[in-house]
Amino acid sequence: MVSDRTKRNLKAELRESALAKLGVALVVLVLFAAVFAPLLAPHDPTATDPKNASLPPLGFSTTENRTTSQMVDGEIQVVEEEVQVNATASHPLGTDSVGRDVLSRVLFGARTSLLVGILGTALAVALGVVVGLTAGYYRGRVDDGLMRVADVMLAFPSLVLAIALIGLWGRQSIAIPDPFVRLGLAPEMPESAVIPGTVVVVVALVNWVWFARVARGEALSIRSAEYVTAARSIGASDRTIIREHVLPNSVTPILVLATIQIAAIILLESALSFLGFSGANLSWGLDIAQGRDYLASSWWIATMPGIAIVLSVVGINLIGDWLRDALDPGVDQGEGGV
Amino acid sequence: MSLGRFLLRRGVQGILVVWGVVTVVFLLRFISPGDPVNFIAPLDASPELRRRIAEELGLNRPMYVQYAEYLAGLLRGDMGFSFLRGQEASAVVFARLPATIELAVAASVVAVVIAIPLGVISATRRHQPADYGATLFSLVGISTPNFWLGIMLILVAAVQFNLFPTSQRPVGFLEAVGHLVAIEFAGPSVAAPLDVRAFADTLGTWLWHITLPALTLGTYFTALITRLTRSGMLDELGKPYVDAARAKGLPETLVRYRHALRNTLIPVITVLGLQLGTLIGGAVITEAVFAWPGLGTLLISSINVRDWPLIQASLIVIGVSFVLLNIAVDALYASLDPRVDYE
Repeated sequence: MVSDRTKRNLKAELRESALAKLGVALVVLVLFAAVFAPLLAPHDPTATDPKNASLPPLGFSTTENRTTSQMVDGEIQVVEEEVQVNATASHPLGTDSVGRDVLSRVLFGARTSLLVGILGTALAVALGVVVGLTAGYYRGRVDDGLMRVADVMLAFPSLVLAIALIGLWGRQSIAIPDPFVRLGLAPEMPESAVIPGTVVVVVALVNWVWFARVARGEALSIRSAEYVTAARSIGASDRTIIREHVLPNSVTPILVLATIQIAAIILLESALSFLGFSGANLSWGLDIAQGRDYLASSWWIATMPGIAIVLSVVGINLIGDWLRDALDPGVDQGEGGV
Repeated sequence: MSLGRFLLRRGVQGILVVWGVVTVVFLLRFISPGDPVNFIAPLDASPELRRRIAEELGLNRPMYVQYAEYLAGLLRGDMGFSFLRGQEASAVVFARLPATIELAVAASVVAVVIAIPLGVISATRRHQPADYGATLFSLVGISTPNFWLGIMLILVAAVQFNLFPTSQRPVGFLEAVGHLVAIEFAGPSVAAPLDVRAFADTLGTWLWHITLPALTLGTYFTALITRLTRSGMLDELGKPYVDAARAKGLPETLVRYRHALRNTLIPVITVLGLQLGTLIGGAVITEAVFAWPGLGTLLISSINVRDWPLIQASLIVIGVSFVLLNIAVDALYASLDPRVDYE
């Protein structure tokens, strides 16, 4: 389905564009973090350690005022003292309010974001492409009906509909076996690989319409192409024509849209987790929500996962630009983020 | 086709979509687990009491009867009664609506005022530092989750430097205007008509509180519009009509703003129309960050306690606003581009 010319264009664009290279590097970095999180993480991301709570990241050692009550001559006195809080190499990005390692949580959070981003997009593509190609190919009443459904779906902002569906349906998640734990390469961790199932289904339900629109547009133009008339005249069935001609020729714009949508869904997932509408316990959005309560004392808890989101989404958007410039399918920008 | 007929046709389409929205919102209750009676009846309610509550609310009747009654109620402006708050759902929702509108409008103003000049500068100074700066800003801007941006703004501007408040909306925009035009809007009663000083004070308080939320919600759109304006201007400035305009001696400013920018704005508006959902969705989460008392915070809290009439009313108001805004965007689009045949 990918022609030699397309491959040449992609390579040429990658060679010329520094931003495309940066995008690939960032995405490889995030993928690496997600896949090898159990090997890379210095600590169990869920293990609390009250003695080492709220440690700052390396390079940001601070002093903190602590008040303690002491018995002096039979009387209770409140003593305020300045305590030095040192960063330690064991927690390079610091710890949160209950002593969990921020770096480990950021590494494992990459898994949730990418799983939801990739699985959610795949499901949305499957749903949207089937609906869109059917509507565009058959036209008439099927088209009208399906496109009115799409209009109604579009009248709800994806975040709003997602909040409503998850809030009402509950938050199911599926733990999947972690190969590194299975092979004994990483210690047992309860949350090491979890797919927030409801979130995946819901983000696909609220985003399939974009794919349906693009697929429909492609099918509308391809169905009247000469090669389709030729195929029909030699007796090819509708199903064969859709599978052999319409689908392969719509791949490029759908691929570009899918790239942008992975970024959009990662942002959507983080927003849902931030609001508490997610099934995952290791998620960047959730950590930002928890860090919000400690902004005055421990800014790093909310800051670090946010940087991780920005770097991932910048990387994916740069790859999206690269694909668009190299393949030039002329896709409208869909709903981009939260 | 005339503008009037165009608006009429879009209006009819809009009504169909609104009907779809209402139907989806109605069906939501039937595809959600949990009996609505559970959220009203006391925990130890007897089956008899539960049955009577269901009967009182009409929950035991066939679905199509409930649907017909729901539609009939909506046509009368009745969106149901929130038992948990003891208020009409429509009253609660419309009391919250101004806060959300203010936020969305303020964010749009921030976005347009910053982004269009920035995009033009970026396009006319291609490959200069200003262009690289604007490009970097727009890339990071479209990639930053706005709730995190909001928290970072709170961290820097509110917690560290104490420049802005972290949350709340003590006054509304209309209350400020109320001091000027001597019409009493919902809110505290107005002391004296044409009180310019009170107007300035109230407006100041309002601006002081809305600055961080508006920046939070507006940044994504600023980045997006900058990006679109830049690429659109680059396209337009390379076209023959621009050369022709320059050749006949028009000043460069006129060429850029009167000719190129006007044509650039057409695709910009198309994309903005597609992005309205992001604006409304973004407002929901921005409200959550800043405890802004709008529709978003209302929707989230209603979902958490399963206050059905309020969930439905907020969703319908959000869906209907979206449909209306889309029609407005289409009309704007048609008036900017004379080639559009209102089709």
